[in-house]
Amino acid sequence: MAVLKINGKENFFDGLLPATLSELLIELKVDATTVVAEVDGEIIEREKFGSFNLKEGQSIELVRFVPGG
Amino acid sequence: MDKLKIADREFDSRLLVGTGKFASNELMAKAIEASGTQIVTVALRRVDIENENDDMLSVIDRDKYLLLVNTSGARDADEAVRLAKLSRAATGINWLKLEVTPDPYYLLPDPVETLKAAEILIKDGFIVLPYINADPVLAKKLEDIGTATVMPLASPIGSNRGITTKEAIEIIIEQSNVPVVIDAGLGLPSHVAEAMEMGADAVLVNTAIATAADPVAMAKAFKLAVEAGRVAKLSGPARAGDKASASSPLTGFLRGSENGQ
Repeated sequence: MAVLKINGKENFFDGLLPATLSELLIELKVDATTVVAEVDGEIIEREKFGSFNLKEGQSIELVRFVPGG
Repeated sequence: MDKLKIADREFDSRLLVGTGKFASNELMAKAIEASGTQIVTVALRRVDIENENDDMLSVIDRDKYLLLVNTSGARDADEAVRLAKLSRAATGINWLKLEVTPDPYYLLPDPVETLKAAEILIKDGFIVLPYINADPVLAKKLEDIGTATVMPLASPIGSNRGITTKEAIEIIIEQSNVPVVIDAGLGLPSHVAEAMEMGADAVLVNTAIATAADPVAMAKAFKLAVEAGRVAKLSGPARAGDKASASSPLTGFLRGSENGQ
């Protein structure tokens, strides 16, 4: 079983990992246009979500804008 | 009203508005509109992958309002810098409200980590607006390293207690060569009018608007108070005195021989 750490929590995928960040966001039902992503501490530009290949064991942070003062 | 200039941008409004704590995004959008603000603050948080996430930015017209992302939640300089970089990657905007608040009870800003983060971020091209204690020495140090403003607190975030740090803020205003934005704890329009009369360049209000029974009307009240305070400051307030000074003539009373003098 493949595993990715997403927002500090291990997520298990049956069979194959989503191939790219874009595919992962589709699988998680997260709107890619509202998200900022960091993989193993490196910020991934939104335009590169579709070409950024995911690998077993990576640590992914997905953040978004929320109301705040 | 005269324009507010921060870094290389000019603003007609001197009221910055925070977007937290509104009952709905729709109410937030209406209150922002009523406040006349041109700068709104937002925060960054992890996506909740278990639940649906609504997109608050969809109701904010980015052509009309400058998005000022804060680093709230950061407990040290490293966390603040990380949030800043994520924010810039997402928005393409290099303006940042720098907030480093390790203390969960009073949310007081850490002066050492704030100064450290500001130095790193300015070198990296950010326009930094730091949230600070009302500390004149710190304000001066931040100005010296190139922050675009200083943002001293009036009282703890969300406390609505008004300006409890008046004497220190007066010194900051007197010494500062960058705009002084009074942030946090301003609970009533009278508080912001007082801040503007003291000579603050701008104020930031969130909780007092968002948690009012009618946030849209309250936003309007804050707008008017900021304008009143600013115009009053520019008008040269009359002196305060110890004794009465009659406003009506002291001659011509309907009394004895004084009459008709």
